[in-house]
Amino acid sequence: MGSLDATLKPRLRVRTPSEYAGWILSILIGIGILTSVLTNPNFKWGIVGKYFFAESILRGLMLTIFLTIASMVMGTLLGLALAIMRSSHVKPVSIAANIYINLFRGTPVLVQLIFWFNVSALYPNLMIGIPFTDIGTAVDVNTLMGPITAALVGLTLNEAAYMAEIIRGGFSAVGKGQIEAADSLGMSAGMRMRKVIIPQAMPSIIPATGNQVIGMFKGTSLVSVLGVAELLQSAQLIYARTFETIPLLIVASLWYLVMTLLLSYPQSKLEKRYSRATSTLPRKAKKVVLIEQEEGSLR
Amino acid sequence: MSADGTIQVRSLRKSFGHKTVLQNIDLDVASGEVCCIIGPSGSGKSTLLRCINGLETADSGVLKVNGEDFGYYETDHAYHALSRKKLALQRTRVGMVFQQFNLFPNMTAQENVMSGPVLVKGQDKKKAAARADELLASVGLDGHGFKYPAQLSGGQQQRVAIARSLAMDPEIMLFDEPTSALDPEKVGEVLAVMKDLAKKGMTMVVVTHEMGFAREVSDSLLFMDEGFVVERGDAREVLGNPQEARTRSFLEKVL
Repeated sequence: MGSLDATLKPRLRVRTPSEYAGWILSILIGIGILTSVLTNPNFKWGIVGKYFFAESILRGLMLTIFLTIASMVMGTLLGLALAIMRSSHVKPVSIAANIYINLFRGTPVLVQLIFWFNVSALYPNLMIGIPFTDIGTAVDVNTLMGPITAALVGLTLNEAAYMAEIIRGGFSAVGKGQIEAADSLGMSAGMRMRKVIIPQAMPSIIPATGNQVIGMFKGTSLVSVLGVAELLQSAQLIYARTFETIPLLIVASLWYLVMTLLLSYPQSKLEKRYSRATSTLPRKAKKVVLIEQEEGSLR
Repeated sequence: MSADGTIQVRSLRKSFGHKTVLQNIDLDVASGEVCCIIGPSGSGKSTLLRCINGLETADSGVLKVNGEDFGYYETDHAYHALSRKKLALQRTRVGMVFQQFNLFPNMTAQENVMSGPVLVKGQDKKKAAARADELLASVGLDGHGFKYPAQLSGGQQQRVAIARSLAMDPEIMLFDEPTSALDPEKVGEVLAVMKDLAKKGMTMVVVTHEMGFAREVSDSLLFMDEGFVVERGDAREVLGNPQEARTRSFLEKVL
């Protein structure tokens, strides 16, 4: 007591009454919700289990995954093009990209999806051919713009607007000095973009894109209004027949949850990896071997 | 006589909006000459330097670098801008070293030095790597080639930047306040590399606040203020015995 050799004793923290209250309250609410969810027969957990791996649900899940990947890939490519256009010094080009971005970000995706599904009302026929000649053929837009095509077009065009802003943000994070250094070495604009700007913009683009993927995965549920049999629509088709609405919505929700959690693991890894607080870019430790260096980033 | 490594400027004018930053600038730099430009900030000295590398475009006047009109070709009634490709070719002959180094952070020191020869000139990678190692050794960075810019000190980064410019085999090197962003104790190592370069006969234009360097290494000196060349002449003469009152008052403050 009162000695000077007390360094080995643990230092205890004070727990305030509010801390205990927080514990107790959270646990009580948790138990309440859990017992309600488990004991309320209307949840019909048996039916949830029965349909969880049902073939049509899995097929819907596959379609959801396909829509996510396809529209993310196409949306990112289009977004890259828009971002390059947006930062062009040719005014009309940059204004055109700006209008596109604002138009698609300023209207609801749901409205856009329904619009593309019904676009044949505006343009019944699509001419494919060489302008001002007779060469070409007319395509019926109504048959071309089926539900899945409309879904892909709608999701892609919308995503492109968001990706364009993300990519442009990444570009503008690259300092002016980098561009000047590339210019003073005599690099062409394309090379400057590929070797200097894009590699340095990646750290801010990649984590944000990860977030977009997660958002897109859930966002695909909107295309159910077009009658595309993705995950949500597959569940809806079943409960329209069996009236087991809640259990099937739970099935769909659980799948969305599982996939989102699976995606957020690599996402948080990416975020950590790219947010290291230095100007260094993430990389694997390179060995000081000439062969390694030859295969370096100058490819 | 070859015009390689020479700069000729006549009546160069440049303004940003309403502000005129270069007013009727004349400048002659002979091959192998070291020319220092000094002056207070905002005097237009950096802008002049950046015009010689095409980072800024002058509004009017003549600018000949290596004996060629820079960035433009002349016809009877006008100067026409060169295509980006031709401008890039002219730029490869003028090395630029920046205050903030501007190394590519996504490349190692060696890759930075190789970037010009490989990406712009399409040189063989093995040869370029060997040359890069030589150049890095010549600026005192033997064995640092595998490091990334963030792993190097400011002085080391600036020396890599000098090596990167030298890799293009330029006839002229431009330095835009190359030591202003450095810790005082790292200034010497960069100046030493620059002195070495001057000794080898490189044509150099240096915007600097290092009066010691100007006195010791420079052949000619330009004092600029508010877009004008106030005084020019032999470096030691101008520094030792300035003729203009404005030069005198500036030198009194910085020396």
